[in-house]
Amino acid sequence: MTSDQHDHSHCLSMFQKLSEYIDNELDEMTCRDIERHVEECVPCKICLETLKRTVNLCKKLESKPVPESVSLKLKEFIQSMSDGRSIVQK
Amino acid sequence: MMYNPDRRKIQDKDFELVEAINSGRFELFQELVKRYEQKLYNFGLRMCGDVCDAEDLVQDTFLNVFRYLKDFRYETKFKNWLYRIATSTCIKKRRKSKFAPERELSLDEFWPKEDAHIPDAVPEWAQIPLNKLLNVELSNTIRNAILELPEKYRLVIVLRDLEGFSTAETAQILNLKPSNIKVRLHRARLYLRDKLKGYFAHDE
Repeated sequence: MTSDQHDHSHCLSMFQKLSEYIDNELDEMTCRDIERHVEECVPCKICLETLKRTVNLCKKLESKPVPESVSLKLKEFIQSMSDGRSIVQK
Repeated sequence: MMYNPDRRKIQDKDFELVEAINSGRFELFQELVKRYEQKLYNFGLRMCGDVCDAEDLVQDTFLNVFRYLKDFRYETKFKNWLYRIATSTCIKKRRKSKFAPERELSLDEFWPKEDAHIPDAVPEWAQIPLNKLLNVELSNTIRNAILELPEKYRLVIVLRDLEGFSTAETAQILNLKPSNIKVRLHRARLYLRDKLKGYFAHDE
């Protein structure tokens, strides 16, 4: 199918469900329906693949380490709270 | 009401530690901090984009956890409860300092316009191996695009795709219906996808 023959109503209904498809949150029949559609519809296939890639890039983003100064400050802060609570308990 | 461990509805690796802290061993709170400080710090960075705000978020969240841990009912995973506190701390904080404007993202804005150029094949950036694609510059582009998202969409995509919570867990953390989470997540992802399309278009 070329982009000129793009059936917008069908594509729009697919377009709304692409994230749920990527997340495996759709029933099997709807999944097969989407898979059949993207086999024939290049714009929707592009849409699905680029969205899938976007999600995977987000999931692969690395965490940053906590700066040592922040960690130390937090440790002292927690220590002062714990000490306060222990004194109250005693 | 006393907590009875035999009546736990769910299993969680943190329950034993929480239980020990709640029985008076407050020195163990540092262990809880050690388990979650990096996660919360990164959550703060992803939500606020600023190291000082991220630091404040971690400190304020642990302060609230320390205050309210005795009320924890062991009915949800501790991590989910922690993120619920972190999320509300973050929302309160951001209300004080206006950042990304609040607005609705509609599906229409991501649907190709009639006159839009539709490529005839899946672009290279969606096909080459992820590890060849994801460099520091692209990571920063994604982080900045997330920060541009209105808060209600940013919270959902951060919790779902970056922090790894399920739809049901995210709904519980944000006190929303799963259907709302799905709608917001889809729009947030489409927004990011458009930003990535723009980023890679420069290379063409």
